[in-house]
Amino acid sequence: MGRLKFLCDVERCIDCSGCVIACKEGNHVPVGVNRRKVITINQGKPGEKSISVACMHCADAPCIAVCPVDAIYQRDDGVVLVSKKTCIGCGYCFMACPFGAPQFPKTGVFGSRGAMDKCTYCAGGPEETFSTEERKLYGQNRIAEGKVPLCAAMCATKSLLAGDSDKVADVYRERVFKRGSGSNAWGWDKAYKGK
Amino acid sequence: MIFIGSNAAEAHPVSMQHILHAKEVNNAPLIVVDPRFTKLAAKASDFVRIRPGTDCAFIMGLVNVIIQKGWQDKEFIASRVSGFPEMAEVATKYTPEEVENITGIPASEVTRIAKVLADNRPTSLTWCMGGTQHSIGSSITRAFCILQLVLGNMGKSGGGTNIFRGHDNVQGATDMCVLSHSLPAYYGLADGSWKHWCRVWGVDYDWMVSRFPAKEWMNKKGFTLSRWYEGVNQEDKIHQQPLKALLQWGCGVNSNSQFHKVKKALDKLELVVVVDPFPTMAAAATESDNIYLLPCSSQYETSGSVTSTSRQIQWRDKIVEPVHGSKEDYDIMAELVKRLGFADEFYKNIKQVPEDITLELGKGSLTIGYNGQTPDRIKKHKDNWHTFDIDTLQAIGGPCDGEYFGMPWPCWTTDHPGTPILYDISKPVMKGGLPFRNRFGVEKKYDSSGRTENQLAAEGVYNPGSEIKGGYKEFSGVVEGRNWKTDLSLKTHEYALSRGMAPFGIARARCIVWTFPDQVPIHREPLHTPRPDLIDKYPTYEDKPIHYLVYTRYKSEQNPNLSKDFPFVLTTGRMVEHMGGGAETRSNKYLAELKPDMYAEINPRTANNMGLRDGEDIWIESPEGGKVKVKAMVTERVDDKTIFMPFHFGGVLMGRSLTGNYPEGHAPYVFGEPANVCTNYGYDIVTQIQATKDGLCKVSKA
Repeated sequence: MGRLKFLCDVERCIDCSGCVIACKEGNHVPVGVNRRKVITINQGKPGEKSISVACMHCADAPCIAVCPVDAIYQRDDGVVLVSKKTCIGCGYCFMACPFGAPQFPKTGVFGSRGAMDKCTYCAGGPEETFSTEERKLYGQNRIAEGKVPLCAAMCATKSLLAGDSDKVADVYRERVFKRGSGSNAWGWDKAYKGK
Repeated sequence: MIFIGSNAAEAHPVSMQHILHAKEVNNAPLIVVDPRFTKLAAKASDFVRIRPGTDCAFIMGLVNVIIQKGWQDKEFIASRVSGFPEMAEVATKYTPEEVENITGIPASEVTRIAKVLADNRPTSLTWCMGGTQHSIGSSITRAFCILQLVLGNMGKSGGGTNIFRGHDNVQGATDMCVLSHSLPAYYGLADGSWKHWCRVWGVDYDWMVSRFPAKEWMNKKGFTLSRWYEGVNQEDKIHQQPLKALLQWGCGVNSNSQFHKVKKALDKLELVVVVDPFPTMAAAATESDNIYLLPCSSQYETSGSVTSTSRQIQWRDKIVEPVHGSKEDYDIMAELVKRLGFADEFYKNIKQVPEDITLELGKGSLTIGYNGQTPDRIKKHKDNWHTFDIDTLQAIGGPCDGEYFGMPWPCWTTDHPGTPILYDISKPVMKGGLPFRNRFGVEKKYDSSGRTENQLAAEGVYNPGSEIKGGYKEFSGVVEGRNWKTDLSLKTHEYALSRGMAPFGIARARCIVWTFPDQVPIHREPLHTPRPDLIDKYPTYEDKPIHYLVYTRYKSEQNPNLSKDFPFVLTTGRMVEHMGGGAETRSNKYLAELKPDMYAEINPRTANNMGLRDGEDIWIESPEGGKVKVKAMVTERVDDKTIFMPFHFGGVLMGRSLTGNYPEGHAPYVFGEPANVCTNYGYDIVTQIQATKDGLCKVSKA
């Protein structure tokens, strides 16, 4: 068995932000916090490409390494989660993250940072599974229900894939084979380092 | 695949799964023809930038190259197409060089794209409102069809003209002819049509006549969606008494062009009623005390049948009871009908809502074969959707074995599987095959050539199992005094099908439409053109004094000097984050967060020449005095002669905020100027659809 991974197929991403809306609606994420974003380069020109980015749930996740209070941890299936009750909002993880995933809601009148929020892979958080507390702090726990994250489930073009890395890799490999080109999955080298 | 006047990546994102599949798996070239380098263009194998409003010239240019090179499907044309030589004669005027002059597309590209189309058959052709919303929209769409006929791409899997509709049930609404010029199912307004529907509804024809102030009203086309406001304002002469009331049901009023004039009409009306889940722009723009908002429920709070672009009918279940005190459309309709005093007649056949509605509309819609899709069958398909093959759409075993998903119309009887591909003569009629319909007589002498041509298909064109091995007329007289369109007993259908034949006959597809002003599609310059030098050669039509009850200007509106003061072409379209008039999507906080600002796309060269920077406020002004204050979005999506605006915003009018006019607590999260304040005067000569894609404007710093 592999581990859980995301893969965004840039040949398929049409910059519709369906993933972003699915994530926000499904997890009741506050306005201003972006667990997932679609980034477009060369907009309006030949070579325009879009990619949907969130926490990639890295192997050897740098956010875990730099967190001074050990609020971030990795599950056996690869999902990286944060304990909002432990997080002190220092922002080190944001500096360390190669994907810009950690988000900090502004709390208080001076814009002080609240606890870090990021993509949970729709796997809830450290609170009891399916508890009201978990839902309030982190949103849905679809992984415990045996479902893929909402963003990938909603993707209109099946650009965004999520699930067991072996299966995700198979789907993508088959696509690349049919296309007859050697395009590389964006972000995998950086995130997974071949692991 | 060729997409022209369609930005499916933004307007139809779900369809992109199939489009990209065809590109990836079948190696299908994806040709995108558009004035803008759209998000769809980003996925194209070939992108062709075209001047707005010149699609017809480009397509006729492709047709010309194909014929000159001998790439046309000669057998298909000889046996199944009429008026070909006359059409080809017109096409010769559109040489690649002339096409370049009109459209801005290099002559070499015209020839190259023609070759790509010839080498990749069948090709699927898709257009949307970029193809229709022009003063020559009806010619443009016919040119698209002619291109597919010339290439022999009709009636084939992977071919056809696949027009993507705007919402999930637009095809259904069209089939029910929620229009001013036809009864449901395209029956028109003739006396016979009224009598047919009265028989279906079970009401007395004389009673129906008595409902009108005069009988002539029953046969006269009414006002259209694009021009109803003239029925109030009367700036152009109208041919009926002025309108007093307006009922808008699920319609974003800011999708109307000339919106500053629409606003004037809203204020003048005695009564405005808006039925919608959210307060539309009408709620904010109507500033006299004459408006009522009736909150209706969303699609999740009601049930019924809907019809898709591919003519498939699907049942939609109710998920929850209506919330927040809203009512289902059916209930609002029932209350209205009750108060108008004809509930007994209206609900004669309708005891169980909505099943009986589906049954009744199907029973009467014989012209398009809606009669085989009973509510029971539609629900059975929904419940067993997993038994259908996703490529062929046909059920493999199970309770729907052999049927096509949603029984795409025509579905002639309750034993018929539906017709997944129109005009496909490779299958028996009872197995979902069909020829071209015999609709326009059996013979025609053409005005241009004096030639007389048989309009029925040639010998050898028939569906397998047909008793007649060639063209034949539509069926009539099987039951005395009835034809296949009016025989509610269905004996005509059953008789035709038992002989392996199509109830509507087998004819040829026409290249010449003798009832249209342009019998063969030709280019005419937009009313407001940036190329006044082309007006002499490609002038617009003469003015049309009675065009759906209203005088419509063409020639008198085509002023060659207009482009001096209004130098940019203005075109509009959709963005993926918002929908229609935007009342619903701008009321969703997350969509509002993604796209909070109304903007105009402007090329970097134009912006730099005017000293404009990205995000700066600018004024866009139309020749009719409409103006909007929007943010400049500097991008190469548009060329340096074109301005683009999305049309989903509302709540602001010509710099003035109307946000205080929404009912308290019901205003959308984000507001902006409606682009349609600036879309120009101009309407299609046949359909009267508004020309929102090829107007002129000027730009200044705010």
